[in-house]
Parts: sequence; structure tokens; C-alpha cells
Amino acid sequence: MSSLQWRALRNTVLAALLGLLPLVTAQAVTPGAPQPGAGQPEPSEAEAQKILAASDAVRNPSHSFGLTNTMTEYRHGRQTDVSTLQIYAKADGNSGQYRNLIRFVAPARDVNKLMLKNGNDLWFYDPSSQASVRISPRQRLLGQAANGDVVTVNFSRDYRARLVGEEDIDDGDRISHHCHKLALTAAANDVTYDSLEIWIDASNSHPIKARFYAESGQLLKTAYYRHYERQLEVERPTETVIIDGLDHQWVTIMRYTDYAWRDVPDSWLQRDYLARFRPE
Amino acid sequence: MGRGLWTLLLWSAAAGAAGAAGMEEDDSAALALPGAQVAPATSARTTSLTLEGVETAAAQDHGSEQEAQRVSADARYDSALAAGWRAIVAARLDAEWANRFDTLQEIGTLKEAYLSWQLQPSLLLDAGRINGRQGVAYGYNPTDFFRTDAVRSIVSIDPNSLRDNRLGTVMLRGQQLWDSGALSVVYAPRLTDHASAAPMDPDIGATNARGRWLVSFSQRIATDWTPQWLAFGGEGQEPQLGANLTALLGQSMVAYAEVSGGRSSSLWAQALDLPQSDSWRSRAATGLTYSTASKLSLTLEYEYNGAGLGTIAWDAARFGTLPRYGRYREYALAQQDPATRSNLFLYATWQDLVVQHLDLSAFLRQDLADHSRLPYVELRRHWTAFDLALRWQDAWGDSKSDYGASPQRQTWQFVIDYYL
Repeated sequence: MSSLQWRALRNTVLAALLGLLPLVTAQAVTPGAPQPGAGQPEPSEAEAQKILAASDAVRNPSHSFGLTNTMTEYRHGRQTDVSTLQIYAKADGNSGQYRNLIRFVAPARDVNKLMLKNGNDLWFYDPSSQASVRISPRQRLLGQAANGDVVTVNFSRDYRARLVGEEDIDDGDRISHHCHKLALTAAANDVTYDSLEIWIDASNSHPIKARFYAESGQLLKTAYYRHYERQLEVERPTETVIIDGLDHQWVTIMRYTDYAWRDVPDSWLQRDYLARFRPE
Repeated sequence: MGRGLWTLLLWSAAAGAAGAAGMEEDDSAALALPGAQVAPATSARTTSLTLEGVETAAAQDHGSEQEAQRVSADARYDSALAAGWRAIVAARLDAEWANRFDTLQEIGTLKEAYLSWQLQPSLLLDAGRINGRQGVAYGYNPTDFFRTDAVRSIVSIDPNSLRDNRLGTVMLRGQQLWDSGALSVVYAPRLTDHASAAPMDPDIGATNARGRWLVSFSQRIATDWTPQWLAFGGEGQEPQLGANLTALLGQSMVAYAEVSGGRSSSLWAQALDLPQSDSWRSRAATGLTYSTASKLSLTLEYEYNGAGLGTIAWDAARFGTLPRYGRYREYALAQQDPATRSNLFLYATWQDLVVQHLDLSAFLRQDLADHSRLPYVELRRHWTAFDLALRWQDAWGDSKSDYGASPQRQTWQFVIDYYL
């Protein structure tokens, strides 16, 4: 396999994992945990942060779990790519970050290749050569991975929220919801997006839509969370539509299936286990 | 009417409606897209097969041109046999000819064939032929102790190909993992010293001509900092020590270092079976990989082989007796060691170059003793089930230099890969 195939693979995996997966790559929600960079928040800020944390909990299961993510990419309305990943995720007890083991299911050229994400410890593994390659956080943002943080960042940990109003907006299925609209600003230096807007259903804390902005104010991504189903004891979005802010003809749809609680020992979340990992 | 056309029509209609209604951007068109159509897999796929066809045209040193054709099949099977048990088999077949089938040459490579037993979630045992590769560097892996004599059929000079397409070693392997590290112990017995060139021979003699052992130990000592330490030895060889280290330098750069060392004779003495007392010799590959936002990754690696020939000795060898020089080159190649002491390796990959799904990968090796160079470029366009690639490589240097010694100069390859 060429190194470029490696790159393409890891970018796709990282897209899904590090970011594209709402359920997998976000940090775990730790109710009541202090927010980084926050002093003692104003009451309105505390309320906004609470709304945001509740929304995070909708996207993120509380225990280690597994699922399948099928990502379909469109350009100008034409399907250009499909990838399927099988993902195991476990929250770090200290940081709240989700750690992931991911196996490529499709396309055929990438079958059974793996990726490990454990904080900034990122590795790709090819079973044919037994080769593990360490990659940088920047590399996760290449290609589709640029979509990642649109849906997977644990917003309540990385951003400070401000309630800016109530709005009725359509969701990804064109159904209207009465939502809290929050404006978020980065509270950590290493986040991908400087600020964002998020609409959260006022009745059930479901995230409905989010917009992600660069420091310049340029819209980078729009995400719609849709097709809510009861999965792992909670109503969760089973599909996310991501529209590129610079190129509206570039759309990625991620579908999540095969949810299951999975026991993931900490000893599996290291490079030395990659050759051993075999999902159920 | 095909589904693709319907999708386009729906897309156009939705986009038009959105514009007419003054709706924001093109969101309604995007939300009308059908989404994934593939059925999610619920269990691990057990088999994979890659078929490859290659047409090669190579300009020779004396001006003529040589053509060759190759077809290859590369298969892998990895399946659970029972709770805790897995069977893994990986094999490859290459068939090459030069315009006429009566020149056909075939060679099979049994890469892996072993059983794995997971006694506990963190305790595993393996037995059989295993490609137990070590190392974190890109162009040269001094801690990849089982690389010796492992490549049976060189189908590409791309280091990724050399790592993929090789024989595993018959071994017993145990591994214990814990939350922050792992310990592996490997024993590869001496089975036969009879190497075989027969096309379908498993060629056990190439990899198990002498008993060898390897212990590797990893322990996280800080966040994102897990060095690996290795000890390796075998019959007729002093123990060798090794280490693999990686570190992040900011958000865009990975630094790595791979080193090994131990007492041994020089590669020259080994190749020519000359008496020489052992002394400490080190090997290393260390480098940086930098990624840009434009999907370009660049790696610069320095490679050092303390058992290889220094500049003066290399000059003496290459301008000296031809059979001895030839024997040395052949031996270094089999060892997968650089022939000279110092090399540079520049590696670049560029994804979605100009258009989506068009990838560029390229590398340049430079011998720092004679300054010969080996450039290699591949352009690859990939679709769902197959790839098309165009490769070019050259050899820059005089005919007695490290990389200029190849009789082939410019080589072009047209490649098609089909994935099943």
C-alpha cells in the first residue's frame, strides 16, 4: 500500500473518528466538572453552559461503547465517496476525552486497517505490513477530517456558552423545533473552530443544528443532527449532515448504526495492541 | 433512469426551490440527499484480495529500452475460529514476463500463517509464521530485526511495499499488556538453513536459518510519550539493543527516532565472510514529518548504518574487485541495510492533488558517501474498487555509485489495482 493510501485512509478515519462521529470522538460529559478557562460564570452563562452540557450528553454515551459509522460524501449532488468504520470508544477517567479504536470496514482497499486515538497519541496501523505510523493532530484535520470537529467536540468543555435567544428552526428533516440559540467562544487554544452557533431543542436538549466559524468570522461548516432514535438508553441523532461553509456543494452525511455497549480495557488503547484488535 | 440522475435532478430542484424561497445557502438541497446506501457491516470481514497489473518500460544504461509485465494477487484471511482463537494467513503471488510468456517467472510469498490465542483480554500467544515488524521510521528500520532475507520478490522500491511484501518468520510470541504498556517475548527457532528459490516454496530457510529471540517493552512515562525498548539476539550474533521514540512537536509535526546497537562485525566482513573482531556498531533513522493544511506531508529522515562502509572504504570497494563489490551489494540488499554509512530520505505525500482522489507520493534517497540519488514519484487516482497509478523512478549517479549502479535508468510503470 502506498503512503498516499495511508494518508487517505487516516484522513477518512480521523474525519469520522476524531471529529465526524458525534458519539465517538467527543469528550465525555462530566456533569458538574469545571469548565476550562472559566472563572465563576455569570448566572446566564451558567445556564447556557448547563444547556450545552445537556446537549453534549445527548450525543455522548456515558460508558464505553461501539458503533458503525457510514460516511457518504457528495460533490455537486453526486456521490463521490463512501466509507464505513467500526468504532470502539471509551472515555478517559481523568480528562473526559474519548479514546477510540477504529477499524475500516469499507472501501475494500482499506479493510481491517486501524486507527488509535488516545488524546494526542494518534496511530494508524496496516495489518499487511504490521506498520504503525504516528500522525499529528494537524493531519486529522486534512480532507474530510476537517468536518470532524463540527460534530464531535465536547462543546461544554472547550467553549464558553452564551444564551442569545430562542428561535424556531427546521431540523435536518425539515421539522420545526423551538430552540435555545447559544453562541460559543473557544475556551481552549487547541480547538479547531474559533466560535460557533448551536441550536438546541428547548424541550429535550437535542442538538438540531450548528454553525462553525473561523477567527475571521468565515463560516466553515454547518451541521444538522437528525434522525433521532433511542440508542444506548437515550434518544440520539443517528445521522449528521455536514455542509462545507466554503463549498456548499460539498456535503458529507454520516450514519450511525450497530450501537452497543462494549467493554474496552485500557490496555487495548495503546499502539502495541493494534495488531491484536479484532472487533466483535 | 439511474439513481444518480434522480439524485442530481432532486439536488437541482431543491437548490432552485431554496433560492426561490430565499432559504439560507444550499442547505435544503444538501438535506435532500439520500445518504449512505451501503449496508453497515456487523462483523469483521475475514478475507481481502488485491489484484494488480503492471506494465513497465525501463530505459537501460546503454540506451536500449526494456519492457516487462507483471500480474500479482495478494490475499489475506483473518478469522475467529473459536472464542479467543484467531487464524491469520496472508500470501502473495507475482508473475512477471518480458513481452513473451515463455519468459514467465512466478514467485509466491507466504507472508503469514499463524494461530493466535487470547487467553485473557490482555494476554496473548501466537504461533506460526508472523510478520513481526518493528520500527517507527519511514525509509529504514534498524529495529526491524526480522527483516533480514525476508523480501522474496521486489515489486517496488517504495519502502511501504518492501515492508508489505515479505516473508514472516516462524516464531512463538507471547504478549502481556497493561494499561500503560506492554511486554512481548518472541522466540524464532532454527528450522532449516536451506533457502529455496522454488516459486511456491514457503522458503522457511530464508527466515529460520538460525534461532533468534526478541524482547520488546513499552511503558508510557508521560502523556503522549511511550518509548519502546527492544533486545534482540540469536545464534552467532551478539545481543542487540534498540529503541523507538516518537514525539509531537506542536500540532503539525511528529518527530521520531529509531536506534539499535550492539557488538558485531562490519557488513563488509559479514558479506565476504572475513574474520573480524566484533565492536559496537549503531544504526539509526531519525526524522521529522510536517503536515500542511493543503494536505501535503513532508518527511525528512537521516539514516545511519554504523556497520556500513564509510566514504573512503566505499570508494575502495566500488572501484576495487568487482565480485567482492557485487557480493557486498547483494548482502546489504538482503539485510535491508544501506550499503554506506549515511543516507538522507525525503518523503512527500499530497492527497487530492488538483482534483479529488488524485494522490501524489514521492521520495528521494541520497547517499551521502557518493552523492548518488534515487528519485521516485507515483501519481495515483483511486475509485471505489480500483486504482490507476503512474510511477516514475530514475537512478542518478555514476555506474559505480550506490544508486547509479542500477542498469536501469528511467523507469515508467502503469499500474492498475483492483480490490475485492
